[in-house]
Amino acid sequence: MAEDTDPNAPWITFAGIAPAAITAALFVWFLGHAPTIAAGGSIRWAWDWIPSLQVTLSFWLDGLSLMFALLITGIGALVMLYAARYLAGHKQFARFALYLFLFMLSMLGLVLADNLIALFVFWELTTFTSYLLIGFSHADPKSRRNALQALLLTAAGGLALLAGFILLGLTQGTFEISVLNAGGSLAGSAWYLPILILVLLGAFTKSAQVPFHFWLPNAMAAPTPVSAYLHSATMVKAGIYLLARMHPSLSGSEVWLWTLTLFGGVTTVFASIMALRQIDLKQTLAYTTLMALGTLTMLLGGSSGYAITGAMAFLFVHSLYKAALFLTIGLVDHATGTRDADVLGGLARVMPITALAAALAALSMAGIPPFLGFIAKEVAYSGATGSPLWPLVILLALAANALMVAVAAIVAWRPFFGPQGRLPRVPHEGPWAMLLGPVILAVLGLAFGLLPGLAALIIEPAVNAVMGTPDTGGRLKLWAGFNLPLLLSVVTLALGAVLYLRHQTLRERIARLEARGPDFDAGWDRLLEHFMAVAKGQTRIIQTGRLRDYMFVTFGVLLAAIVSGLLARNVGGLELALAGLSVREWGVAGLIVAGTVATLLTSSRVTAIVALGVVGIGVALIFIIYSAPDVAITQLLVELLIVVLFAVAALKLPMLDREGVQRHRPLDAVLAVGVGAATTVVLMLVTQAPFDRRLTEFFEASSYPDAHGRNIVNVILVDFRTLDTFGEIAVVVVAALGAYALLKGGRSLVRRSGDAAEEENK
Amino acid sequence: MSWLLVFPIAIPFATAVLAYLWRNGAEGKWISLAGSIGSLIASGLLMSAVLREGVIAGQMSNWDAPFGITLVADYLSAVMVVITAITGLATAIYAMGEIEARLERLGYHALFQVLIAGVTGAFLTGDLFNLYVWFEVMLIASFGLLVLGGSKAQLDAGIKYVALNLISTLVFLSGIGLLYGLTGTLNMADLRGAVAAVENQGLVTVIAMMFMVGFGVKAAVFPLFFWLPASYHTPSFAVSAVFAGLLTKVGVYALMRMFTLVFVGDVGFTHEILIWVSVLTMVTGVLGAAAQTDFRKILSFHIISQIGYMTLGLALFTPLALMGGVFYLVHHIIVKANLFLVAGVAQKLTGDTDLNRIGGLYKSSPWLAALFIVPAFSLAGFPPLSGFWAKYLIVMASIELQAWVITFFALLVGLLTIFSMTKIWGMAFWKPHPDGIEPVPERIPAAVRIPMMIPIVGLAAMTVGIGLFPEPFVQFAEVSAAQLLSPTDYVDTVLGVRGMAP
Amino acid sequence: MESLTAIIVGVLVAASVYLMLAPSFLRFLFGLILLSNAANLVIFASGRMTEGAPALVPEGASAPTGVVGNALPQALVLTAIVIGFGLLAFTLALAFEAYRRLRTLETEEMREAEPVEGGEETRA
Repeated sequence: MAEDTDPNAPWITFAGIAPAAITAALFVWFLGHAPTIAAGGSIRWAWDWIPSLQVTLSFWLDGLSLMFALLITGIGALVMLYAARYLAGHKQFARFALYLFLFMLSMLGLVLADNLIALFVFWELTTFTSYLLIGFSHADPKSRRNALQALLLTAAGGLALLAGFILLGLTQGTFEISVLNAGGSLAGSAWYLPILILVLLGAFTKSAQVPFHFWLPNAMAAPTPVSAYLHSATMVKAGIYLLARMHPSLSGSEVWLWTLTLFGGVTTVFASIMALRQIDLKQTLAYTTLMALGTLTMLLGGSSGYAITGAMAFLFVHSLYKAALFLTIGLVDHATGTRDADVLGGLARVMPITALAAALAALSMAGIPPFLGFIAKEVAYSGATGSPLWPLVILLALAANALMVAVAAIVAWRPFFGPQGRLPRVPHEGPWAMLLGPVILAVLGLAFGLLPGLAALIIEPAVNAVMGTPDTGGRLKLWAGFNLPLLLSVVTLALGAVLYLRHQTLRERIARLEARGPDFDAGWDRLLEHFMAVAKGQTRIIQTGRLRDYMFVTFGVLLAAIVSGLLARNVGGLELALAGLSVREWGVAGLIVAGTVATLLTSSRVTAIVALGVVGIGVALIFIIYSAPDVAITQLLVELLIVVLFAVAALKLPMLDREGVQRHRPLDAVLAVGVGAATTVVLMLVTQAPFDRRLTEFFEASSYPDAHGRNIVNVILVDFRTLDTFGEIAVVVVAALGAYALLKGGRSLVRRSGDAAEEENK
Repeated sequence: MSWLLVFPIAIPFATAVLAYLWRNGAEGKWISLAGSIGSLIASGLLMSAVLREGVIAGQMSNWDAPFGITLVADYLSAVMVVITAITGLATAIYAMGEIEARLERLGYHALFQVLIAGVTGAFLTGDLFNLYVWFEVMLIASFGLLVLGGSKAQLDAGIKYVALNLISTLVFLSGIGLLYGLTGTLNMADLRGAVAAVENQGLVTVIAMMFMVGFGVKAAVFPLFFWLPASYHTPSFAVSAVFAGLLTKVGVYALMRMFTLVFVGDVGFTHEILIWVSVLTMVTGVLGAAAQTDFRKILSFHIISQIGYMTLGLALFTPLALMGGVFYLVHHIIVKANLFLVAGVAQKLTGDTDLNRIGGLYKSSPWLAALFIVPAFSLAGFPPLSGFWAKYLIVMASIELQAWVITFFALLVGLLTIFSMTKIWGMAFWKPHPDGIEPVPERIPAAVRIPMMIPIVGLAAMTVGIGLFPEPFVQFAEVSAAQLLSPTDYVDTVLGVRGMAP
Repeated sequence: MESLTAIIVGVLVAASVYLMLAPSFLRFLFGLILLSNAANLVIFASGRMTEGAPALVPEGASAPTGVVGNALPQALVLTAIVIGFGLLAFTLALAFEAYRRLRTLETEEMREAEPVEGGEETRA
């Protein structure tokens, strides 16, 4: 990256500032609508995009989409500002800024879209922009690989999602989400299960649920602002958003409950363990994001007010603190040149503001009162206790939250307040443009915790939207009394502290465990290898490069096509009408067959050409006998020309058989006889059917009176079917031009460069 | 009225003659350009007439159908003619930069214009034997273009291309003879009724299968596509672009025409076979693409894969499916021609088309990168580009029929298309050049670069345009599909039952 | 006679398929000539065959008297013969040029456009 960066370039550029400014303006605009939404209102805007297909570009601003829109634009503006400084002077920063901005718009479109297909369009756009962003360091093969992995995996899920949406739209008669949701749960529909599976495939790949999770940690190949924005705060939550958005339609079944709880639970626990295992702080954060996504999925499995409130509150607070933490890690990386957890330490003295932001964010993450993280965790625990699967959910949530406490300490305590590490660079505090984001986000986590009513203004309308019915609200409280969630919180903290103190030993153990478990990432590579092997294998079999194979298959298919038709359909009996033919006919037939056989058998070019001439004459004789003198004359003329051409050209061509004798090819013979016989059968059947002569009768009747010609064949050629004749002349002329160009062009090419020189060029 | 039908064919022919006469000077390319613009105007006039009046027909030499030869344009024909003219103009501009004087002197522009004339003729004719003639015009011009320049690879490719195409032509010709023997007519509209009246319907099915094979080779469906990957990567890029855009589509068009207008008596057999042929075409094509490491070879195999979507649209034989097929046809011509044009610029910048030997385009030629992304991701069916709506219609049609296996493959092939498009992207654009070359645009002289870039920009703009505003195209495809499925207007107009302009 | 023609066509087709599948491209050309003949005969026979009555309008009459040969397929065959000749001539030129440059007409050895795998490395 270094050689692409000009350190003296100013960071305040159009590409640096404009996206952030526009995004900030959008944030303010959305914030302006917050009171309306909080009061239970909603805003809808629709444009008939493709009326023929019921695709509208309809946007629906309700509680859920507003919360997401605020996160997207708010965090977006801060991240864009941060990125402008972080990547200042990078030669490709303008592209980066463009992609990031396009991503922001796509994400906004995704959460605002009310039409399934429009939503899908934005969904794929986020996939696409994220592909470009993950591959930002495109000279690095790993970066390219990881970008592709993320793209393929999420696009695969996207295709399932598309199928699900189409099925949903076709069976329900509408593609408008608000209309679908108003109709309540589809759990009773016959199509419910396939729809659910397809939609969940889309949501789970996008939101990186196990076993589709592995692309997310790999996506950290992107620059840190991207990780903070896409792969933590916004895009990966698109799947969660979808689950929340479709909750009224798709929840309300055992399948929903169990699937979301299990997938979410497994993801949560797996990710928390893996988070402990990481040394690179960015990877640690990536896994905690995964963990959060699992928890959110698990919570959305429920339908109680507590579960949904827990999900929405957690989603909200996670976006704040996780983006802040990523950005502080970026600051640390920027300042010290490393993200190694074992190396970093004692940075708080030189980077006090960064340390403050990290500490605040981490406290919120650990769920310490009075941070919003604490409130969210409490509500989530309440939701868990109310779940039909409460023992499972509580256990999973407890484990995950405890691990999160430990991880919070790892990312925010040790680097800043732990013992001084041996750093590659002398650290310094970050510039204000990069500090602004993490500080604001971290402080918000505290502010919303102290004033939960303020957070409720954003979170509760979202809850209402997910529930589909107005919720009681009032669950977001700093102090909810002595209850089970509080007890669980205490246990969580204690457990987390223990985990933190022992995390280095644990890390080694997990590493050993991991080595024995399935390696999804390597599995992905194997999958691609297998796929490539299949692709190459099939192509080698089909596209052999040998003309003979191609023609054999082509003739084989022709034979199969005719025979399949003959066998599958009743074509009637065949009548061999050979009686009454004179010696003349048999003679001509004998002549043609003899010429053909001679062509077949000979190894001499001269004999073959003569034999072909004989066949041509035989065919001409048929034309003569059967009233086609003009055709016969042309046939003879062409035959003569062919012989002359061959005499000129073919004799300069090589012998027919290099060994002097022709090899016998029994398989070819079988195919040849098959095709020949099939043609005979079809032609006989056709000629034995009744014939409609009306065209010819018309020509016979009008040839002289209307077209003034007595030779009907000629009249057809020059009058009735002029266009054919015109085309025919064109073919002959172009054939001559083409042949001339071919022969002359080749010669001039050889003259110019010489065969040997061309050989070298190749 | 009938002049509207004649001009799109006559203009390229006349242009060919003039371009050949002036082939030795710089005039040739300008004549070709002017002719291409003329063709585009003529086809635009034809399109507006069709939009205004529905199907229009013209009886050549003033002999009423079915006795003379009828030229006829319904929605499908008209849009194919327009898209041919667009592709023709795009490649004519491109050729002004790419084609060297040596090839011009050999008659490049004339051959090219004849090719366009042949393709247009094939789209407009309403007579089966005349269709054969246009096929031949197109074929002989394509022979000439394919081997023009005469590199060894071209000659080898030429042998395979010529051999397989000649076989298909003769199958087609025999099929015409047999169908005539059974019905006594050649006019396609007339054939509809005549074929339905044939007593021996089993025999009609057999002949339909022969047509399927003959057109199947032209359209490059499984397992008849060998000639395409064997040849499309060898000629100049302008030629491979126009081939990629148009040639196989003539086969698809012919299948669409014959298997909606004439061979509809045994849909349960013919179209069912075509469904599975289409699915296999999609899958083998996309796997073939995945196996390649050459820019143009990947694109070539993708043509096959996408032909499968188009024939699938026909084979499923519902309004929605045919609508998807038509939409796909139009979208694909623009996108695929453009990708070949981009490949040509990439080759000029980096020195090769072997993806292992090139790279660095993203860094040094960002605009080319953007112009590749558009058609590439459109091809892969990413929204909101044209390819997405094409895929969407086909997938929706399959789901509507509850044809799950087909739906699965239609979606899977979309995913695998992303795979090989990103392979090109990763290796030609993102990866640094292995020899450290910085493929900056200035490596190509402006006189060559600018004509090569203009059509790329234009076609990419169309791809985005169709993607963002698909409604008129969807509506058009809808009417088109309706006309195909119940060709009463087509038949009546051709046979003069409906009032005809003199 | 249509039946006998059908048999002749079958023989021609079988022979041409066999020839086209031969290793030498020269034999493909022979097969092509035979196959063109076969296709022309298919069209001719499909229009039904009438002996000894060319499709002419006699002097003084406005239409042929009696049954005459079917003129339409004859016209089609004429067109097809000429087109077929054009294609054949080009193909012959192609074979000629290919032999001159590639030094072989054995299709097995024509692997310039689709090289044998691994062959590219050896060339470079």
